[in-house]
Amino acid sequence: MKTPKEQTLHTRRQFLRTSVLGGALASTVPLFLEKTFLTLDSMAAATPGQYPTGKDGTILVVLQLAGGNDGINTLVPFADDAYYKARPKIGLPAGQILKINDYAGLHPRLTGIHDLYTSGNLGLIQGVGYPNPNRSHFRSTEIWQTASDADRNESEGWLGRYFDSCCQGVDPTIGVAIAGQTPQAFASPHANGVAFTDPGQFRYMSESASDPKAAEMFMREMNTPDNGNESIPDNSGASIGMIGGSPGDGGDTVEFLQRTALGARMSSDKILAITRKTKSSVDYPHTQLGNSLNLVSRLIAGGLPTRVYYVSQGGFDTHANQIPTHDRLMTDLNGALSSFATDLKTQGNFDRVLMISFSEFGRRVTENASGGTDHGAAAPLFVLGGGVKPGLYGNYPSLTDLQDGDLRFGTDFRSVYATALEKWLGAPSELVLGRKFPLLPFI
Amino acid sequence: MLSPCPAKYWNRYTAAHLLNRAGFGGTPAEIDTLESLGQKRGISSAVESFLNADDNGDLFEVPPLLTPGDRFAFQQRLKVAASDAEKQAIRKEVNDAERTSMIDLRLWWLNRMRYTSAPLLEKATLFWHGHFATSNQKVNEPYMMWQQNETLRHYALGRFPDLLKAMSRDPAMIRWLDLESSRKNHPNENFAREVMELFSLGEGHYSEKDVQEGARAFTGYRVNQQTGYFQMSPNDFDPGQKSFLGQIGALTGDEVIDIIVAQPQCARFIGRKLWVFFVSDNPSDQIVDEVATLLFRNGYDIGATLGVIFQSAAFYSPNVIHEQIKSPVQWMIQTTKMLEIPLPDPQLLENSLYMLGQLLFSPPNVKGWDGGRSWISASSLLYRYNLAAYLLSGRAHVLGGGNKSTPIPLDKIVPLSERGGEVQLVDPLGFRVFNAPLSPKNRSEFFDDLLRHPVPYTDMVVRDLLQIMMGTPEFQLC
Repeated sequence: MKTPKEQTLHTRRQFLRTSVLGGALASTVPLFLEKTFLTLDSMAAATPGQYPTGKDGTILVVLQLAGGNDGINTLVPFADDAYYKARPKIGLPAGQILKINDYAGLHPRLTGIHDLYTSGNLGLIQGVGYPNPNRSHFRSTEIWQTASDADRNESEGWLGRYFDSCCQGVDPTIGVAIAGQTPQAFASPHANGVAFTDPGQFRYMSESASDPKAAEMFMREMNTPDNGNESIPDNSGASIGMIGGSPGDGGDTVEFLQRTALGARMSSDKILAITRKTKSSVDYPHTQLGNSLNLVSRLIAGGLPTRVYYVSQGGFDTHANQIPTHDRLMTDLNGALSSFATDLKTQGNFDRVLMISFSEFGRRVTENASGGTDHGAAAPLFVLGGGVKPGLYGNYPSLTDLQDGDLRFGTDFRSVYATALEKWLGAPSELVLGRKFPLLPFI
Repeated sequence: MLSPCPAKYWNRYTAAHLLNRAGFGGTPAEIDTLESLGQKRGISSAVESFLNADDNGDLFEVPPLLTPGDRFAFQQRLKVAASDAEKQAIRKEVNDAERTSMIDLRLWWLNRMRYTSAPLLEKATLFWHGHFATSNQKVNEPYMMWQQNETLRHYALGRFPDLLKAMSRDPAMIRWLDLESSRKNHPNENFAREVMELFSLGEGHYSEKDVQEGARAFTGYRVNQQTGYFQMSPNDFDPGQKSFLGQIGALTGDEVIDIIVAQPQCARFIGRKLWVFFVSDNPSDQIVDEVATLLFRNGYDIGATLGVIFQSAAFYSPNVIHEQIKSPVQWMIQTTKMLEIPLPDPQLLENSLYMLGQLLFSPPNVKGWDGGRSWISASSLLYRYNLAAYLLSGRAHVLGGGNKSTPIPLDKIVPLSERGGEVQLVDPLGFRVFNAPLSPKNRSEFFDDLLRHPVPYTDMVVRDLLQIMMGTPEFQLC
């Protein structure tokens, strides 16, 4: 039945495939995976030695409060007259504040977080920001995600640089974002990290084809990087030649897609296996954040090698009628973090996990006419986990000595990153952040 | 580099490229029609067919939406409601009505993209939706979102300064960026900042002082609650002297916009965004300068500028053709056109575009969609592959539920004459699916798949091959 031309197609690759399709070499799939890991390893930058994975090593969870959390109504300076003067409508009554010390305390809805503080698992870093603060959501988020100076644009994320420079091999589940889109913090030339919201949908549904085995096999074949050996020909036909235009990414785009697909299918198998067999020990709020942290906790319990998880809570851009919105956000945050901490403690993994929160900026000291607050600058952030030394770090920024109406920062956010990298993940922070930042004593 | 593309480069692939970028793609027959127009009357005629297309928008019936008048009536009912339970029931009534409205409204626009006779108009409207990214998450009034969409379409290929002024008066925008509560003595800076940072100049081309002064010029912009139209509230407007981007005067919002668009940086900013959306990522400074000069000279005439771009040699460069990652909307429309099927079940369509990261009227933030590689994560790429599998197989469970999809008219798109051997099948089908030459590796993979099957190939074999073709990196490109 074969023509001579068809015979020439009978390459080694096809031999392997026909064997698999015939069922003779059932072990080829894991072998194939191993081969692609090796291929990818050879493409990756040289990595400096062996590093632990999240299976038994330490784990970092990054929590983004998107939109600019009002830090002043989160860690409330209830003993300061300037607070109530600046916020006659939205200032929270001193009697309701969950006191941390004589000057400041937590938002009334943060009861569980306050308990974590008293029980010795939570730190509050005050006045975190950076020089020349930017009040645009997008630019400031970008600055936090890339750990760049305010006057520099960088496209790689700080966690992406950590994956690239400090992690063994290129297992894509080194970073897991519970998100529809990969956060910029993970961005790197090697497409490390995976992003998903629903693990059940995170797999290739080859069974929709009439020949699922073949569909699966071809999908794998066509979504494997060729180590740059094979490039796509000029798409418009060789005749058109180079007639101008800027140098594009060329075949890099296809390779980028192949790497992403390869990472996706390798990690989807692992993640599905884990989520099917694990259950959380506590109830979480049925919110985006609650669901995300529930999932993270199960993935940790299941021994995924992930070293960095990324979750987010949105809706903090409270320009108008802030009180009910912020109350709801604080309730959600409180419930989700409390459940997460309890769950991890029950699992026995709490001592391996450090969670740090961040928001692109705090909000202006003075309330606006709409019962809300406009974009500000420095704000406090939370650090949580078994390894955290409890306490308040840094000083509460002055409510009267302001910079363009906003709090002045006392701690550069990159000091928080550097501390997490050096003291928690055991990574050289200078390599990741480009220079040395003073370490903080919260670990 | 904006010099015209020589006629000798006009062929099926370049025609398909124009159809993909100036619109949402088409069938091989549509590509051939466009190609022959270009062959007979020149590339300029092919491009003009997009600019001069008659819009059949009236054929697309706008779904019933709660008008501002309806909502006003609800407000009145709320005021006289006797109990909390009654209030809750009224609120639920509004919310339920609006929830369906958003799905209907998205479907309305997507169908318009799918079946429009003026694809460039819809494509440009999509561009501006991403540029003036406004989300119903905050606006919470589908009627306003529809109004904004019509305004974007009205000015989409017109003059940018007119569009910018229209957006400053747009009810959805006024609510989205908090102009509603901005008044003399308490200006809200949100709109004034974004109008420069995201809509016209880009970060770093204005000072904080310009934001503060600009905000004063946009005080008093209101939406009439009963009519839903823009109205100026003179008592809330700050008529005082303002110093904005080096000019001093009792400036109005419109005058602030005039000052903005007079900055050469504005033309560079808009020119760059047009290039990135319609042509390619990372344009050189030189090409941005050329587009900016053109925009500046022709008074920001977007249609005319796109006309020059679509005829340029740079637009047809090998670095540009089939090198753009399809946006989820582009993927969806182009795929259904290519397979000659209608859009899928509305709920599934809604879920899909959400999962893929481009729910219309719901951009992630005021910056809009980043586009390019940001469309692709491990999960969104797998979802694209599964979505293709669903459209081909009709097995909705692969996407977690929904209705069966419309069967692909396989006997029409792959006639018997193309089923007699692998070359007869792979080459024409490959052109339909990819609009680009196949790489040697992919071509031989497709042949390999067919080797196992006798000729003439059955529908099942063709469908499986389509699933393999659509589960590739190359299918994500246009």
